[in-house]
Amino acid sequence: MRTTHVLQAAGIVLLVLATPVMGQEAGPRAAAATPRPLERLADGQPDVQGHWNPVNPGSLSLTNPVPQQADFDPTIKPLPSRIVDPPDGRVPYQPWAAALQKQQNRDYAYPSKPEHIDTQHRCLLSGVPRLFTIVPALKIVQSPGQIVFIWDSYHAYRVIPLDGRPHVASNVKLWMGDGRGRWEGNTLVIDTTSVKGQRLTYIGDFYSEHAHIVERLTWPDADSMIYEATITDPAVFTRPWTMRVAQRRRPDEEMWETACFEGMADPDQFLLKNAQGIR
Amino acid sequence: MRLRLLTFLIPATLVLPAHASAATVSGEAVQAPAPAAIPRTSDGKPDLSGIWQVLNTAAWDIQDHAAQKGVPGGQGVVVGNEIPYRPEALAKKRENYEKRAALDPEAKCYLPGVPRLVYMPFPFQIVQTPRELTFLHEFVHAVRYVFMDGKPHPPAPIEWWLGDSRGRWEGDTLVVDVVHFNDQTWFDRAGNFHSTALHLVERFTLLDADHIQYDVRVEDPKVFTRPWDMSMVLYRRRERNVQLFDYECYGFDWEKTYPYPDMRTGQ
Repeated sequence: MRTTHVLQAAGIVLLVLATPVMGQEAGPRAAAATPRPLERLADGQPDVQGHWNPVNPGSLSLTNPVPQQADFDPTIKPLPSRIVDPPDGRVPYQPWAAALQKQQNRDYAYPSKPEHIDTQHRCLLSGVPRLFTIVPALKIVQSPGQIVFIWDSYHAYRVIPLDGRPHVASNVKLWMGDGRGRWEGNTLVIDTTSVKGQRLTYIGDFYSEHAHIVERLTWPDADSMIYEATITDPAVFTRPWTMRVAQRRRPDEEMWETACFEGMADPDQFLLKNAQGIR
Repeated sequence: MRLRLLTFLIPATLVLPAHASAATVSGEAVQAPAPAAIPRTSDGKPDLSGIWQVLNTAAWDIQDHAAQKGVPGGQGVVVGNEIPYRPEALAKKRENYEKRAALDPEAKCYLPGVPRLVYMPFPFQIVQTPRELTFLHEFVHAVRYVFMDGKPHPPAPIEWWLGDSRGRWEGDTLVVDVVHFNDQTWFDRAGNFHSTALHLVERFTLLDADHIQYDVRVEDPKVFTRPWDMSMVLYRRRERNVQLFDYECYGFDWEKTYPYPDMRTGQ
């Protein structure tokens, strides 16, 4: 399945090359003459419905978000880390977790066991915040008292109640976690518990089932959004840390069926046989 | 265009005049039961938003069936109980039933198709905006859009697991025309099946705030000798703070694999 990985990487590169390269943290529509202000829905929510996409998409790496483009165009400078806190832009792993991330990076390159195959390749849900970094579009639908995120791929979705209800029991683990939202002006704050342990990137970054995630989605105007997620997981990290992904509005289009279903891919397609020799 | 035409030929039998419930007999007003109030959106359309689920056994068999081990018995949802298979198709249905443990697409974790998704024993949520209704299913987190902006189906050939759904309002009834299916899904665990020529017309009518009358006309001339109908009720899940969880299909033994064993902290 090396070809799949290569094709996927190439697809990411082509997509990135097709769009103007901007600073990771720059407003996506900085050049636009007059930003459109947000309008309000009948229930008071800012109207942020429509299709969204990272300015620099891809979930290969958090610290080196789109390294592949340099393979095609050496004049393109590397992008800054998505991690904005701590200031060094690195994931503050505990030593055992740092070692596991490196091992999982090797396992991704030379997969020999089913657990080395990324959940996204099995059509399982990769959860938050990872889905806010992927290439395929995100759609937001709002109705009174809730905001719904739907991803084109994996038919992943997430319904966030805004009515202040309590979280589900902490022993319940959900693929997308259990999110509760509230609006603070033009910022949607989502508090998520009950996550499963998930990978954050293809190269083995991860959090455990003890993670607590607070996301802040801020709309400076109607066409751009800054996504931030702060992850606290005392089992894996030495301190809370925050990643940021600038997003921009895409043209509205009908989302058609993406037929990704569990069990669709034969794991043997991904696994390198006799991989022990390679490692 | 044939499909579009057929859509218009289907009579709008479910559009009940809401004001017809008070009859006058010999000058005296006879008070029939008042029509139940239904929730409406700000643009006056019936509001189907919410979490819904069937209370029937159609997921196992859409026809009348007695209980078996692991299968609750129950009345079917096929109007008249008979499915008008062509002779060769009936033979295939019987073969499907005999080999259902191996052949059922649900057991293979395929997306289950429509209308099967609606009457599986899992809740689903309807999110309604004027432009579209989004069906979010707990079962394998399937998503179906019903586009309401009047655009036609995209041109064939398209084979999707859930088909292409285009809706419109006929009075207070949501009418959804669905085409562009593949032939890999069944209607139930009993082997009832269809071809790529499947054409559905679904009708969603709020009976009151908490019940939807759900009727489906099924047409597939390659498999059936004539159109036939399903009819059932969708019940609103009214529990306090009710929400969808998730159900993966367990197409392989992923619980051994994910979360990745080494990532489990065991705390």
